[in-house]
Amino acid sequence: MLDRALSWLLGGRRPTASHLLLAPSAVWLTIFLLLPSAGLLALSFAHNGPYGAVSWTLGLQNYRRAFNPEYVPVLLRTLVFSGGTTLICLLLGYPLAYYLSFRAGRRRGALIIALMVPFWTSALVAFYSWMIILGREGLLNAVLRRLGLVSAPLALLYTPFSLFLGLVYFYLPFTVLPLYGSLEKIPRQYVEAAYDLGAGRWSAFRQVTLPLSMPGIVAAVLLTFVPCLGDFLTAELLGGPRYYLVGNLISNQFLMAQDWPFGAALTCLLLAGLVGGLWLYRRWEAVA
Amino acid sequence: MPEVTRRDFLKAAVLLPLVPAALAACRRAGSERVVNFYNWSDYIGKDVLPNFTKETGIKVNYDLFADEEAMFAKIRAGARGYDLIVIGDYLIPRFRLLRLIDPIPPGVLKNRGNIAPRFRRASYDPDEAVVPYLWGTTGIGYNRKTVKKKPTSWWDLWDPRYKGRLSMLDNVRDCVSLALQLLGIPETTDDPADLQKAHDLLVKQKPLVAMYSSSSYLDSLVAGEIELAMTWSGDLFQAARDNPSLDYVIPKEGTYMWVDCLALVHGSRHRADTLRLIDYLLEPRVAADNANAVRYATPNAKAMPYIDPVLRRDPRVYPPPDRMKTLALHHVLTPEQTEMWNRVWADVKVA
Repeated sequence: MLDRALSWLLGGRRPTASHLLLAPSAVWLTIFLLLPSAGLLALSFAHNGPYGAVSWTLGLQNYRRAFNPEYVPVLLRTLVFSGGTTLICLLLGYPLAYYLSFRAGRRRGALIIALMVPFWTSALVAFYSWMIILGREGLLNAVLRRLGLVSAPLALLYTPFSLFLGLVYFYLPFTVLPLYGSLEKIPRQYVEAAYDLGAGRWSAFRQVTLPLSMPGIVAAVLLTFVPCLGDFLTAELLGGPRYYLVGNLISNQFLMAQDWPFGAALTCLLLAGLVGGLWLYRRWEAVA
Repeated sequence: MPEVTRRDFLKAAVLLPLVPAALAACRRAGSERVVNFYNWSDYIGKDVLPNFTKETGIKVNYDLFADEEAMFAKIRAGARGYDLIVIGDYLIPRFRLLRLIDPIPPGVLKNRGNIAPRFRRASYDPDEAVVPYLWGTTGIGYNRKTVKKKPTSWWDLWDPRYKGRLSMLDNVRDCVSLALQLLGIPETTDDPADLQKAHDLLVKQKPLVAMYSSSSYLDSLVAGEIELAMTWSGDLFQAARDNPSLDYVIPKEGTYMWVDCLALVHGSRHRADTLRLIDYLLEPRVAADNANAVRYATPNAKAMPYIDPVLRRDPRVYPPPDRMKTLALHHVLTPEQTEMWNRVWADVKVA
């Protein structure tokens, strides 16, 4: 039984001593990922008792409630903002990654560090700074007014604009790094061979570089879209009350509504959607 | 410079997490004199705790929250290590039912007698398990410069003129009870249809609301981002120190008053020192310094002579007796009502 499971985990290979290297991370993931996830799944079938005490009579009522039409707009809004953010990040990130791997030369190291710098400040501090910049009496409006470009202050904060800005600001490095990683690996001779065979710059890019960077694009999309789906801090601080996302819906169940079972059910559904989506993508990739 | 090898680094990395444990082991258990205090943000005079430490040698670890439901969630989830918390009157029965706080035994506080009779054995605390800390009202804060017509009614918070420039407290009790009050429905209702009406009224207001917040909106109010806000009295008066054009009104429909209380967390390991701190906060001069700093009203009768005369005479802080009679306390909700209210509020937030 145990060696069956072990061999499944190792993809059919026989266990060797070097597989022991996997042990620490396996223990870590079991304790801090698998067990809590199992707990979450169990919790999602429980009932919410008085003052949020969990009562362990199991049922499907939380899932039934999650399909309440009232939550559909929240889900759609989340998909729009996550999808839009991913798209903007790709459009901004691809040229950047391209420049970094093909054109940056000696400055590359410094530029990559510059890309990582925003990660060194806490997102909370960064978003509060954005609030100061974007506010009605904020820095940007002050400059625009001083320049005489606007007469009344623009509403920038708590709009789709500010939410997109915050999301793109935060997730752009997640897009650029995998793109850079895959563009970097493309042998330069391939591109040169395309030129030698008469391809112009554009068709060399379209027919050689772009297809070869596809794995990077897929990784970038996943690394941006997936965490975006669960984001609640950005929406809370920069989106304002009209643009709350699924992440806010979930965090509200835990912190405000004291309804952990319902929050767990929402989390499990989000997780199931993601895993299902990934599985479909794998199937499609295997067929294609 | 001696080179740090990878092995040294790994050794340090492995051993470092053990240091606090080792230090803790050196200390004899229980001998440390400390109180872990969990309070609302902006809710204590800045010299109060340092003075306490200077006088008694007891250290105070001070932690803040900005949302009492989130604080409740944290304590209920088993957050260990707090000794003293501040909880609103309506939360006391809930905390006691779930045994999250221990009643303060009678007779152990030598300064309890300083509390005004009105605040002793009150409906929310008939057996004096907790100690009233500060009290205040919920009303409307506004910027006199930009809001031309002084707000007089709660309905002003539904006025489309202030679209994007008003904020609501991020608090289920204040918002849902306001909606019920405006609809003429008593807070005691058990009818889901009534709560649905409250939900709809709050959702109707939502396009106007720039933010739901119980603390950070004050900065926006000071900066002029927000012009009209549902607010707690003392918070607005604190903000008015930074922006004198801010003013506070209790709307004509009336409002709720609330009493925040000091409570002993269940299973606290620093009971004696915590009680010592509560007693200290009850001393007339300390209570007055505290109330003068945070600009809420004190329930401490002996502290009144030391209250800043400007505050003492301010009817917005200490309403005159006829006004006091119109201030109601929040009704204590049953668990079922609590769940309905919480659900309404969580749904309003994502609507």
